[in-house]
Amino acid sequence: MTELPWLYAGITAYALAAITSIVGVAKLGAMATTPALPGISENQRNNERLVLALMTAGVVLLVITLADRWLRIGHGPFVNLFELLISQLFSLGLVYTIAYWRIPVLRTTAVVVLPLMGVLAVWVLALEPSDSVFPPTYHNPWLWAHVGFGKFFLAFCLVGTGLAGVILLRGRGFFKNLFRHLPDNVILDKLAWRFMLLALVFDSLMLTAGGVWAQDAWGRYWAWDALETSSFLNWLLLGASIHARTSYNVPIRLGAILIISVFVFAFITYFGTPFYSEAAHKGVI
Amino acid sequence: MRKSALTSVFRHLASTKLTLLWMLLLAVGAALSYDNPAETSIWVLVIPMLLLAINLIAAIISNPRINRRGGLLIFHLGLLSIVLLAAIGRLTYMEGQVEIISGGEFSDDLLSEVRIGPLHNGALDDVNFVQGPYTVEYRPQMMRGRTYSQVAIPDNQGGWREAVVGDDRPLVLEGFRFYTTFNKGFAPILSWLDENGQLIETGAVHMPSYPLFDFKQSNSWTPTDGDEIKFWLQLETGLTAEEAWVLDGRRATGTLVVNVAGNRTELLPGQSVQLAGGILRYEHLATWMGYKLFYDPTLQWMFLAAFITIAGLGAHFWRKLSAEPLGLDDELRNENKHAKGSMSASRSVAV
Repeated sequence: MTELPWLYAGITAYALAAITSIVGVAKLGAMATTPALPGISENQRNNERLVLALMTAGVVLLVITLADRWLRIGHGPFVNLFELLISQLFSLGLVYTIAYWRIPVLRTTAVVVLPLMGVLAVWVLALEPSDSVFPPTYHNPWLWAHVGFGKFFLAFCLVGTGLAGVILLRGRGFFKNLFRHLPDNVILDKLAWRFMLLALVFDSLMLTAGGVWAQDAWGRYWAWDALETSSFLNWLLLGASIHARTSYNVPIRLGAILIISVFVFAFITYFGTPFYSEAAHKGVI
Repeated sequence: MRKSALTSVFRHLASTKLTLLWMLLLAVGAALSYDNPAETSIWVLVIPMLLLAINLIAAIISNPRINRRGGLLIFHLGLLSIVLLAAIGRLTYMEGQVEIISGGEFSDDLLSEVRIGPLHNGALDDVNFVQGPYTVEYRPQMMRGRTYSQVAIPDNQGGWREAVVGDDRPLVLEGFRFYTTFNKGFAPILSWLDENGQLIETGAVHMPSYPLFDFKQSNSWTPTDGDEIKFWLQLETGLTAEEAWVLDGRRATGTLVVNVAGNRTELLPGQSVQLAGGILRYEHLATWMGYKLFYDPTLQWMFLAAFITIAGLGAHFWRKLSAEPLGLDDELRNENKHAKGSMSASRSVAV
């Protein structure tokens, strides 16, 4: 298991990024009660740079983890939960790091997003790092498309959830000061839903690519197996939430709850269904 | 008057509240069939989908927010077409299993576990291919790898062309898709002769799936005017559970153990045994391959519809988001300044 040291290093980098971001936001919160000082702003800027550097390091270390494992066992991270979780830690980290870099308003959401990724990290550390066997039905380019679109879907849900989490948290006394420097909830809400719109596009692409793969792999494109049904329910929840958001004046806090619900459902679909159903899709092997 | 009444009906049917309600109903239907679609009534899905389709049609016709926006219109038309194609697919589909012996020709008489839509009109009679040999790769611990099943297909010019079929590489003929499965094995070819050595019949007896049922390669056969003959097959295939291995029927040998009225006889290919009522001759050992058969004429259309639907959705979002600034620009500008060291500018807006 030569990849394990890289994995531990990657997770450590993410953990340090989470701690650094929380410390940074706590300092900003404290600063909100005092007049702005140039020295403190420079500190905050350095803090954000450090978080970005740590997240980038985490992503790079996880790339090395995946590459090392790939070379050792001869196939990509598509089969068992251990490698799927590492792969998700990488892809969620990559998308969030880019978003963190390019959209400064999102940076405070690291205090929500990185702890959420921490759940995955703790989970992967609790798993037996066993090798997997590549099923014959996985030799298919549509598997890549299916998994790739799914990763973007979950990552955009995660970014939306980070914003939704901030919206909900800033309504509570303790967190009010922490997030005072952020734009109004109306803007955060709009931004969060834009990520959910992207999530819907990629969720739809994931289901379509999955159907093509399933047709080649198991001779049917849709069979309402446990994972397919969960994925469909997830798509339906996301679609209904966007429909409600665009058709009605959904209160911002309710919208935030809907976004988090979609993410939680997606999380359960990705990582819960394999516990419920022994194979990711029945008849897979 | 009639027009306004019709418009009113459409508006009611197109209600966005109804959309949410039917979506909820569909979610309930999907949840009811969760992991148990075979035991759940199809109507728990069909009824909400039908209601959603009506809602969609009404919305497309009467809601200017949909029918005057190209991308959104394409998205909703696409959703409707997917529902319609799925319905057509279920009406015209065909599924089944078929086991074909090496050297044998496909025939629809061989099909089992057939499920067929009420409006199925596929030309299965025109499907013709001959099964050849196959190999299956196994990794250590008997993990099945790729299957390479050779078939010969008439080339319509008096000859044959060859193709290799696998679990994920179907043989597609007349729209029917044949996929190899884990279900495959051996089949001793047996002849039944009368007391004078005249051939009465020859048949293949499919033994249980191999290597899944390696431990019980037994079956029975009742020849014409004969008694039931029970036998089992002792196979030598090179199988080693601990190491990688390739199942190749051409390299396998099998000894047929015949058991009639407590008398045990071992036969090698070409050998015979005298039984009550006739002679049993073990001709040779063959293999059989089990295929899954799938037919759905809407497959390509479904893919196209899904692609166009998503493209419509993407185009709508792109246009909508480009046209409606987030209001974040000032914030972003300030945040960018902040990122470049002008923290106080950011605070002056936000705090």
